[in-house]
Amino acid sequence: MGNSLRHIRVIAANTFTEAIRQKVLYVLVVFCLLMLGGSSFISQMDFKGDDFKFMKDLAYAGISLVGLLVALLGAALLIPAEVEKRTIYTLLSKPVRKFEFIAGKYLGLVALLTLFVTLMAGIFFIALWGHENALTARELAAGGGRLTEVQTQLVGEYRASAYDPAMIQALALIWAKLCLVTVICVLFSTVASSTVFIVSCTLFVYLIGHLQMIAREYFLGGEVAQWWWKIFLAAVALLIPDFQTFNLSDEIIAGNTVRWVDTAPILAYAGVYALVTLTVSALVFEGREL
Amino acid sequence: MSDDGQREFAVSAAGLTKTFTLEWTRKRLLALDGLELRVRRGEVFGLLGPNGSGKSTTMKMLLGLIKPSAGTVSVFGAAAGSLAARRRLGFLPENPYFPGFLSGREVLNYYGKLVNLHGQRLRARVDELLELVSLTAAADRALKTYSKGMLQRIGLAQALLHDPDLLLLDEPTAGVDPVGSRQMRDLILALRARGKTVIFSSHLLEQVQEVADRVLILHRGKKVREGTLEELLSVRGQSQLTVSGLTPELQTRLSAWLRGEGAELLAAAPPQQKLEDYFIKAVGQ
Repeated sequence: MGNSLRHIRVIAANTFTEAIRQKVLYVLVVFCLLMLGGSSFISQMDFKGDDFKFMKDLAYAGISLVGLLVALLGAALLIPAEVEKRTIYTLLSKPVRKFEFIAGKYLGLVALLTLFVTLMAGIFFIALWGHENALTARELAAGGGRLTEVQTQLVGEYRASAYDPAMIQALALIWAKLCLVTVICVLFSTVASSTVFIVSCTLFVYLIGHLQMIAREYFLGGEVAQWWWKIFLAAVALLIPDFQTFNLSDEIIAGNTVRWVDTAPILAYAGVYALVTLTVSALVFEGREL
Repeated sequence: MSDDGQREFAVSAAGLTKTFTLEWTRKRLLALDGLELRVRRGEVFGLLGPNGSGKSTTMKMLLGLIKPSAGTVSVFGAAAGSLAARRRLGFLPENPYFPGFLSGREVLNYYGKLVNLHGQRLRARVDELLELVSLTAAADRALKTYSKGMLQRIGLAQALLHDPDLLLLDEPTAGVDPVGSRQMRDLILALRARGKTVIFSSHLLEQVQEVADRVLILHRGKKVREGTLEELLSVRGQSQLTVSGLTPELQTRLSAWLRGEGAELLAAAPPQQKLEDYFIKAVGQ
């Protein structure tokens, strides 16, 4: 057990290093430009007090998109490349189990996603802080260096929006969703070697996962008569994760109250689903001839 | 086979068969057909055969990367591919590919940790192996800047990290220059002197002849010959003498004398040194 954990850690660290040295961090530049462009756009437009909501929408969409790109390409490129370039032969000639390889690769990618989400969140928070400062300075300038009661209330609202602690929950939900996409991509990587095929299959599951709730309701409602349709709905409801549930982050962005007790079960759901999928991936890979 | 028998052999395979099913046509392809193989401990064993003869399939089954369709294969008595078997073997793949973003030292550190070496022991072992394969100067360069021969040498170093009892070398001199090839040969001989078992596959028959104790020739998945080089290559009923100072007159007299004794001089020509030896001398290595 101790050896297994050590092997997983070594493979995860190597996967992380590989991704970093392949200059994937460059996509962060895209995110920075997005945030800079977004902030400058906001400062020139009048959003009637929805500035921060607009910025949050933009940032969360950016983090989700860049994260999805990193998750998909990371898993779809790194695992098949090990088989394609036969580096896996050398690795598995050592006393390393196949499940250690799969778990190590996945955890390396999770570490990469964690770094990405953290860095992007950092950039986002700096943009929020900058915008809040600019708005407060504008109010101060308008009041000749002193704030009226209305302005004080307004500045208070800016600060509440800019430094809303619930944003951490929204980021945690996005991170968990990305980890789930990664594990699905890892599962497809254990059976196929074509990057296009793996990415397509994962995106298909991702899309279906957003409709999973509808499939579940139809299946449980018993409104469908055809047996094949029932089987399909049952399979979707049971096997595909419910990605829609992570959209609780939209409520946070909208400024509605969401507590950790609402978020925690979703994070736990993501954790259990990832663990089960990782186990299935390892079992599938165990039987695969290289 | 008895336990004693198992202990005597580093590798033992019985009726080893592998059939692949082609993906689209579902056609079956017999890659290896009932191979019987026994490699003794401390032996240097050459696996020969043309492309597609089953050499790589045999290697992969010894590593447990693919499973036999029929038959059994064991390494030091443990099932091939098991952790117990892999702990005792080191593998150099053909045209070794390593994570190109790592340096030579980093790749050895990476694989070293996977064979449970750590801290000072790992650092000392990595330095020792870099020295052994003459890569100390290039240790901190990225592997993507390495030549084919350097990759082969770092490949050998990673195979030796945990000082395994058995080395599997798949085409160890493929694409390596004569100097590197000579180093590889010397290394194999040094490993044999330390009691290690070496199984290697090669197309370069002359090199096999220089190092192998025994060889096995595969063709279309079947064993066609097996034995020591002496058994396989000696021409029965003939002997070779090397003489100095043989003038034409002396050769005529010797030939006549031999004929009188019932023997015959079949060939007389100055012995030639091998091109590889000549090349090594010329480049001063």
